[in-house]
Amino acid sequence: MTRAFGAFPEYRHPFEATAIHPEGSVTVLYQGKTVTLSEIAKGDGLLIAPADLPRVNGFELKPEGVCFKDLCIPMKDHLLVERDGKQWFDLAAFADLLEQPYVADKASGVWSFAEIPAKREGMMVNAMAPDFEVIDRQGKVIRMADYKGKKALVVTWSSW
Amino acid sequence: MPVWQRVYEEINDPNFVLICVAEDTGGEPVAGPIFDAAKPTYVQVVDEDHLISSVFNFVNVPSAAWIDEEGRIVRIDEGTYSKTHKFGEGEQAFLFGNDVYSPALKDWVAKGANSVHVQSAKTVTGNIRDHGFDQQKADAAFRLGNLFRAHGKKDKAELYWEMARTLNPDSINFFRQNLTLTEEGSGGATFVKMRGEYIAQGKDYYRPLDIEVS
Repeated sequence: MTRAFGAFPEYRHPFEATAIHPEGSVTVLYQGKTVTLSEIAKGDGLLIAPADLPRVNGFELKPEGVCFKDLCIPMKDHLLVERDGKQWFDLAAFADLLEQPYVADKASGVWSFAEIPAKREGMMVNAMAPDFEVIDRQGKVIRMADYKGKKALVVTWSSW
Repeated sequence: MPVWQRVYEEINDPNFVLICVAEDTGGEPVAGPIFDAAKPTYVQVVDEDHLISSVFNFVNVPSAAWIDEEGRIVRIDEGTYSKTHKFGEGEQAFLFGNDVYSPALKDWVAKGANSVHVQSAKTVTGNIRDHGFDQQKADAAFRLGNLFRAHGKKDKAELYWEMARTLNPDSINFFRQNLTLTEEGSGGATFVKMRGEYIAQGKDYYRPLDIEVS
């Protein structure tokens, strides 16, 4: 049988191999990825190291603000928090700013984030298909944008 | 799945892509053999977290989107059956699906924007289901539950799957996927009751298929 593949194999939950929440760390589910962050700070919200931001959601901190590729959201004071002489980025506050829903099981240290709403708006306005990224059964990254110039049928089914 | 493979082979157009997505928390062990039996040459994805349904605001399977060369959706969210299927035998037998969807698809692939089956952006956006804050939060809850399920933490899995179902009660996907954890499964009395109530409330189990039968 074909080997099982899921989206983002480098981040994919190796379900049976590791605990959800290795001591002192947090697991973040974000756009199909499962990212374990070993460096977090205590406090309200989800305080992560700014250096971890790109591997969580593709954003990074720049002088212009919090940026995804060329799109930058101006930095807000409350997004950066000082703890123990270090600076931390509040991912939950950032989600609130973007009106991005999330659900946290704090006892287990797992945070699950929905898609960023702004990424979906084009579909409702002008019927443009949102870009998405998944991994096919052969391990190939499938991005909707890669099929520009072709017609595509995306069809769902299930075994249940 | 074999029927989609046949449709894909009949279309046989290098500028057409068929992306088949299994919405299955059971993952490859569950969906893989079904794919393999079809000997597929189209793109196959096993989507444990139902990400694609979330992307297109689908609430049921099978559902589909037609996306043109520019990335514009030209049809969306219909009961996407490749043919009429018969379920059961004798007096218990019933038919589901249809024989008009595949010919319409072939017509679109051949004629593009000139196909009568291409819908306007206004029609398409009108057919896309609402997917507001609560529904998106339901997606996050479902994935959280799915992670716990995969770790064998059944109580927490049920807690967050139930949260997902509460936040997005129109999702037949969430409802039936949850039922896979029960003894009666996803097609038993609970499902039949839910389906009846869903339709009685005036909700579209599938959107009416707006394709004329020739």
